[in-house]
Amino acid sequence: MDLSIELAGIHLRSPIVLASGTAGYAYEYDGIIDFSYVGAVIIKTVTMEPRSGHPEPRIWEVTAGVLNSIGLENIGIDALLSDVVPHVSNLDVPVIASIAAETAKGFARLASRIEEAGVFCALELNISCPNVERGGLEFGVDPKATSAVVSAVRENTSIPVFPKLSSAVTNIREIAEAAYIGGASGLSLINTIPGLAVDVASRRARLGGITGGLSGPAIKPIALKAVWDCYQATGLPIIGGGGVYDVQDVLEFMICGARAVSVGTATFQDPQGAGEIVEALPSCLEELGVDSPSRLVGTLET
Amino acid sequence: MKKSSSERIEKRITSSVYVGDGTLRNRIDVSSRYFILEVEIKNPRASCPLPGQFFTIECGGGKEHLLRRPFAVHSIVEWSKEYAVIQFLVEEVGWGTRRLRNIMPGDKIGILGPLGRGFKFFQGNHLLVSGGIGVAPLHFAACYLEERKIDYTFVAGFKSSRSCYSGLEKLEGNVLVFTDDGSAGKKGFASSGAVSAFEQAEYVAVLACGPEPMMREVFQMSSSAGIACQVSLAERMACGVGACRGCVRRGKNRNLCVCKEGPVFDGTDVW
Repeated sequence: MDLSIELAGIHLRSPIVLASGTAGYAYEYDGIIDFSYVGAVIIKTVTMEPRSGHPEPRIWEVTAGVLNSIGLENIGIDALLSDVVPHVSNLDVPVIASIAAETAKGFARLASRIEEAGVFCALELNISCPNVERGGLEFGVDPKATSAVVSAVRENTSIPVFPKLSSAVTNIREIAEAAYIGGASGLSLINTIPGLAVDVASRRARLGGITGGLSGPAIKPIALKAVWDCYQATGLPIIGGGGVYDVQDVLEFMICGARAVSVGTATFQDPQGAGEIVEALPSCLEELGVDSPSRLVGTLET
Repeated sequence: MKKSSSERIEKRITSSVYVGDGTLRNRIDVSSRYFILEVEIKNPRASCPLPGQFFTIECGGGKEHLLRRPFAVHSIVEWSKEYAVIQFLVEEVGWGTRRLRNIMPGDKIGILGPLGRGFKFFQGNHLLVSGGIGVAPLHFAACYLEERKIDYTFVAGFKSSRSCYSGLEKLEGNVLVFTDDGSAGKKGFASSGAVSAFEQAEYVAVLACGPEPMMREVFQMSSSAGIACQVSLAERMACGVGACRGCVRRGKNRNLCVCKEGPVFDGTDVW
């Protein structure tokens, strides 16, 4: 079965993508992950200046999930372009860049530099990171700010733009519509959900950053609803994810409206898990009586 | 595009990592808290692990417990491109390690490694200082030194005789065991054992692994004696390959990515 899909004009050989933050700059996994199965890799969010991130500990395992407070540690756009781009252009997989900034203008400037590099097939706008004080979730919770960021980027770039939304909002449909009005090519959702873990004996938070972002199977039902809401509200192509663990999860996300499905935290348990999902996909689609992944998208019966 | 030299090195490192299933060949309980996992790998293809390097092991937690746990290599029973047997000394501390204690010989376990950078060795007398489960990588270091006929003194500290690791008795070098309560070996901390080891001999290098206050103390002792001290750090990890930045901690002047740049660092990078 041909598993390829068109996602806002990008051709992906399979609908499975690796989620930002869990796949680093992709080349760290070279020789460990077989990228030939993967539709695309969304690399770690980059900012204009390097960021050192939050103090340790940054990772805490919870039931059916992982809480992290990395704090958007990254090498900055200059180092990304000089040190990472040569690696990226050698990988046999389309790469989507992810950017974050504190202002709409900042997003636009970063977007132009990403496009100039010439190796990224699309852009994810991280307007929903729960781990930074400025330039994170503050955009993603406000329809006006979301629209302003997306349109500023849109005016400065021609590659497809996918704002990444948070489900930690009152009404995600409003945010999705604002992104649509701003000129989004598609949507990426969901980001991690703000969370907290406590050590009783010391009465301290488990994470150096005190609060963190929750990912993993624990957030899947929330993510499915967000995908369904945004699909209904906008009809935009969606990269859906949040707790995707196996092929069954992928089918659920596609039924709710995701054209592509991102695997994130599950990669930590099994770096080859995304490949196994892709291998399992054709027979699962056949059983459902569809001859291509795109025929399953948005078919939720209500 | 022409590949840069740094990229070639990167490729070589990543392709030397094994990812796949191993089989539990044997599980040996060595004390109330410590046990050895002996894991067999067919066709590892990867290069032989060096002391201080580690593997991440899947604990069989499915969707409920997602993360692998990192374990330093304790010893290599056999290693070729076709077949390998590795031992990990594990302390039961939580869900993951409890689960690993309950898997049965013959069971498959997901394994990834060798990962990270290990210890550097020199010609001349080495001082090895461990606290608690920090004994695991230093046991491997001691075996490595013995094979190369390099002298060492091994100071190993434990809480009590109940948590002592008896495998040290098989080592041929100068091994000094300390317990906090004096129930085995000499009474005292590993760091106080290190003080007397410094008084008795001269060393070209100091290797430490254990609780951070102990490592810091050993580093300070080494520094005032003018000897370089390498420490093996532990942080909670997710990816194990430097991708997620989850195990990054503050060093003296910069962030240290424990899984990729470490776990072994020069003490001067840390404090």
